[in-house]
Amino acid sequence: MQFNGKKLILGKLGLDAHDNGLRIVAKWLVGAGYEVIYSGLYNNPQRMVQMAMEEDVDAIGLSFLGCEHLYYANKLMAELGKRELGHLKIIMGGVIPPDDVATLKALGVGLVFTPGTPKDQILSSIKELLG
Amino acid sequence: MNKNTDINVSYLDGEKVPHFKSLSDIEYERIYSGSDGSGELPDAGQYPFTRGIHQDMYRRRLWTRRQQSGFGSPEESNERIKYLLKVGQTGVNMDTDVGTKLGLDPDYPLAQGDVGLQGTSICTYEDMKALFKDIPLDEVSSTLIVQPPYSAVIMAQYLLLAKERGIPWENLIGTIMNCSLTQLVGPTFQSNTAFFPIDLTIKIGLDVMEYLIPRAPRWNIVNINAYNIRETGVNAVQEAAFSMAMAADYIKGLMKRGLDVDSFARRIAFFSAAQLDLFEEVAKLRGMRRIWARMLKETFGAKNEQSMWFRTAIQTAALPLTAQEPLNNIVRAAIQTLAAVLSGTQSIHTTGYDEAYSLPTEESHKLSIRTQQIIAYETKVVNSVDPLGGSYLIESLTDQIEEQTWEMMKVIADKGGFIQCFKDGWVEEQINEARYKMAEAIESGQHPIVGVNTFREQEEVAKINIFKHAEDMQAKRIEYAMAFKKNRPQEPVKQALEKICHLTNGSTNLFEPIMHAVEANATLQEICDALRKSADFTIPA
Repeated sequence: MQFNGKKLILGKLGLDAHDNGLRIVAKWLVGAGYEVIYSGLYNNPQRMVQMAMEEDVDAIGLSFLGCEHLYYANKLMAELGKRELGHLKIIMGGVIPPDDVATLKALGVGLVFTPGTPKDQILSSIKELLG
Repeated sequence: MNKNTDINVSYLDGEKVPHFKSLSDIEYERIYSGSDGSGELPDAGQYPFTRGIHQDMYRRRLWTRRQQSGFGSPEESNERIKYLLKVGQTGVNMDTDVGTKLGLDPDYPLAQGDVGLQGTSICTYEDMKALFKDIPLDEVSSTLIVQPPYSAVIMAQYLLLAKERGIPWENLIGTIMNCSLTQLVGPTFQSNTAFFPIDLTIKIGLDVMEYLIPRAPRWNIVNINAYNIRETGVNAVQEAAFSMAMAADYIKGLMKRGLDVDSFARRIAFFSAAQLDLFEEVAKLRGMRRIWARMLKETFGAKNEQSMWFRTAIQTAALPLTAQEPLNNIVRAAIQTLAAVLSGTQSIHTTGYDEAYSLPTEESHKLSIRTQQIIAYETKVVNSVDPLGGSYLIESLTDQIEEQTWEMMKVIADKGGFIQCFKDGWVEEQINEARYKMAEAIESGQHPIVGVNTFREQEEVAKINIFKHAEDMQAKRIEYAMAFKKNRPQEPVKQALEKICHLTNGSTNLFEPIMHAVEANATLQEICDALRKSADFTIPA
């Protein structure tokens, strides 16, 4: 698959180590022509944003399975605001209750994928978001 | 069907499943006959215990209903434990939050966002007292879900609590999970190496076992965590082979310390998964009983029959549960629970139908217990021991899984054992391969999931009650940990921690020094940091 010119950093924030979904999505994105930086587990929001800047990515992709999504979404958006990186797209996935999907979007998260979202839907939504 | 008038015509013309393979890629035969099995079938309670470890199994005593619980503060979790016991739970199964499982106090910056979310937050002896308030430690058996080296701190807290209440340790009934490389999300590399050095983890795990063996004879010293291995997406054979190989490494470690195998093997138990492939899961557990019995007798020279009993707790796998149409999960979990019962397990946790949304609500927890009670009291499947035994299919599948498991155990042994395979990254490779394969099979429809990749309806938000944490829970726990550390006599803590530092790099059993530190009011992270410091190990900030 040819590189499509878009670059994402994928990782997890905090202590939750459920990374099945994130690894699979990373593989799908690579297969679809994206460049993916996989930052793995145990990142903090500051470091995540720092890496995103250094790597000059188009989007940050994060996965949450332990109900820590709102805590970290708030921290991450604040960090992006502080560094004037509001243009960076944020994509989230994982075990996220329906009510919280709207809350996350209101905070500025571009896409939220909940369990069972098909590969095609994930790839087409990301393509649309990143242009 | 959809709300519009589309009719799914593809199923009208002879509905059939995509293939006849098991979840582990074993091809099911069209029909099984007598020539497929080995024919030998000793009674339950007789070596090699294929049909069950006890002669009378559930006729004498039902399995323990042991729903995992734990969230927020120890006080909140104590309330939930009491609720569960009230509705018919018969054992406690206490899960800790991720910070506790990584040896971090609630006020550690990277731990703050996860405090109390996936289990209860425990960092002090006071916390342990609050968690087990009013629970009789010698009457209710409790499983404590935490791995080395943190298991040493939690176990020490529990033993001190028993001592304070005047309960002799020999009367304690329960289990410390204490499995070194699988607890977080299975044996994945980063999760098991980022917060503690591997070799010291394994050493302290053995320290805990060695300390408990002569002092708490009714207590299980380790629960080999096959469940978390399986939940990564590996198959039944890998689940069985990885966990058996890991158990073999622990046995060797204890024997190397000069312990007689019969002094501890009967206190080693397993924690296994029940997936949805009912026959395969029953065959897997029957096969594991045979492997354990043979391994203990032939490889390790056990003489006591109890050492050869494969005892396991079962949790119904969460992996097949879906966010789509969550009520379907009630049906799945009921079938998985039935598989666990038909396989002759010792205890069951039935996973909640709200698993793909949050921790279980009280209502969901109760439904899990009711599922087990309905199977126990209404279906009559408990009336005969090993009811599927002798079925051509089950016997043939048991033989097949046993054979494949032995083969994979040999591969692992030839590579230096499970711990070596983990360190070399081989286990991680196997897991990743399985994850991608499963994702692909779901995408292609070769692994059908109703409501997800087959019979999927238009997206609609599921109506479901979702568990919510108390809003100020994390802030309170963080505040508590900080205040606790500030307001205690500091000198005894300092001395106890220095002693741990001093002893860490030798071969001394560290359990007692750790218990002294707990007594001196050192917190979980302070003790773990002392161990880390001696090993010159830094953790993610």
